[in-house]
Amino acid sequence: GALGSLGHHPPSIPWLPVPPVSTTGGCTPHPPIAGPLGSALSTRFGARPVAMAGGFLSGLGLFLGAFATHMTHLYLSVGLLAGLGWALVFTPSLGTVGRYFAARRALATGLVVSGASVSGLALGPLVPLLLETYGWRGALLLLAAISFNLVAAGALLRPMPIAGESPGPPKDRPGLVRLLRHGPFLRYALAFVLVDAGYYVPFVHGEAHAHEVGCDEHRAGLVMAAMAAVDGGGRVAAGWLAGRPATPLLRHLFAWVVLTGLTLLLLPLGTSFGGLLALALAYGFCAGALVPLQFAGVAEVVGTGRLVHAIGLMQMFESFGSLLGAPFAGWLRDVTGNYTISFLVAGAFLLAGSLLILTLPGSCTSQGGGSKEGSPTLAPDGPEPPPVPSD
Amino acid sequence: LLLGISGASIEKNITLDSATRIELSCRLDNKYSHLKSLQVIWKRGNETIRHINKTENSWSIQLRILDNSNLGSYSCTLKGEEEISAMFNLQVPTIEGKEKPIVSYEGDTAVMICKSFGYTPIAWTWYMTNGSEQIAINDSLLADKYAINKISANVTHLKILKLTKEDDGVYWCEAAFELGKSKGKLMLKVLSFMVPLKPFLAIVAEAVILVTIVFLYELYSKKKEKHA
Repeated sequence: GALGSLGHHPPSIPWLPVPPVSTTGGCTPHPPIAGPLGSALSTRFGARPVAMAGGFLSGLGLFLGAFATHMTHLYLSVGLLAGLGWALVFTPSLGTVGRYFAARRALATGLVVSGASVSGLALGPLVPLLLETYGWRGALLLLAAISFNLVAAGALLRPMPIAGESPGPPKDRPGLVRLLRHGPFLRYALAFVLVDAGYYVPFVHGEAHAHEVGCDEHRAGLVMAAMAAVDGGGRVAAGWLAGRPATPLLRHLFAWVVLTGLTLLLLPLGTSFGGLLALALAYGFCAGALVPLQFAGVAEVVGTGRLVHAIGLMQMFESFGSLLGAPFAGWLRDVTGNYTISFLVAGAFLLAGSLLILTLPGSCTSQGGGSKEGSPTLAPDGPEPPPVPSD
Repeated sequence: LLLGISGASIEKNITLDSATRIELSCRLDNKYSHLKSLQVIWKRGNETIRHINKTENSWSIQLRILDNSNLGSYSCTLKGEEEISAMFNLQVPTIEGKEKPIVSYEGDTAVMICKSFGYTPIAWTWYMTNGSEQIAINDSLLADKYAINKISANVTHLKILKLTKEDDGVYWCEAAFELGKSKGKLMLKVLSFMVPLKPFLAIVAEAVILVTIVFLYELYSKKKEKHA
């Protein structure tokens, strides 16, 4: 429909705009540079204005998309503009939550990112309904209106001084650059590049794999929906679990990454509808669990002062992992004939990432809780960190 | 082509797109072979067909399908203690339209697609319905309004430009085969931009109200702090 009006002759693929924060993990689809941009802007101007501006931009992007007369218009308006908007909302929001809720960071983050699952599940039936009733232009228009609510959400990010916060980076660019020389942070970011390379494979290729195994369209959709649903549950559960101060947060993160990797490795074993469904539920739950811990874990590694910057930078790195991961899995499938190798490789990526997490200081000590960032075993992160030997 | 049916009452659809010879046969399942004195009659409608070939357990007829009049339903009936029959429906390939209407807006362009699966039609024709009449669409006559494009042998597109309310309605794509024609139904809905605009404005207003509430509440609580 959309493509037809724009002068193409498409195979009739219904074109669905990507939901603002995809259920498939903390990462939103956005241009890679947007993450650090969001961090830098929100450090300079405060989280609230940036998030509100991001909400407005995302709505504007979708709104302009509704009037597109050419495919490139759509790429620019929805892809670039709205994508930028979502990134500008995401980074300050998560950074702010991480800073404000030091004591129960993991749980707070878990609740926040579970919102993405809720909206993803709601959009599942909503978007086709909008498309049927209003066509793709009308659907984009209404999704734009819904996106404008992000402005209201951003307004809630009330600026507050935080007691006991480690000093932030100097208010200019060297802050970001210093992060790039922070050994643990680099390992953390690299870990998640690997994680992201494998993480999205079941979400992107799951339906096709279900078809291959013999599930019809209805059942394949059911498997995917179930995976998304437990994803939300996993997010909250892991956030809650990590709040119990028995083990350090990074160890929780390590455990969940390993579990996710293992369930991914087991996915090829699902050759019937029931088996695949069970494995998909397991994977979805673990995959969801990763998300809040990933973002709460950043605070563990770099401290709350530089949290916002670190999130932005990490997202930029991650986006490369995710951009390469799913297509690579698809290529492996084309070469080998089925998804077994793709899933095994993806699981291997996740396990490799988990090993990197193990090398981080926080995960091997028995320092409890998530609120302390000045523990002696962590690399000091004052305004003038000692030069970190490049690893 | 040889087709066999055994046992209970069955119907089978056979799709043919070009002239051919076909053999239909009814075969009796082994559990019924104890029935003696069997009589098998092949019929088309009420007309009985002769020239049945009989083997040990099966009865068949050979048909030459040359044009549309040869298509239809053929049945074989076994008359014995019980009466068992099977039906063969010879038909042209069906074309699927779209169940859900295609939604578009005034001034926009709509593309309607019809596909034939497996069989290649000789020609495609598009019709629009005006009241109860079906009018063929001539795209050379109204070239700035309609464009019919043949994407491949089995796929046809009808492109309607500069949509107006009058273009709203039911459209048919008709595929012509050697043995007959087959139609698919599509529906087009043309909306004005006012239709989604109203809910859009409502939701945006709601967002603005929420933002206002957040800021007003903040001002209020700050004032309280000052006075306290």
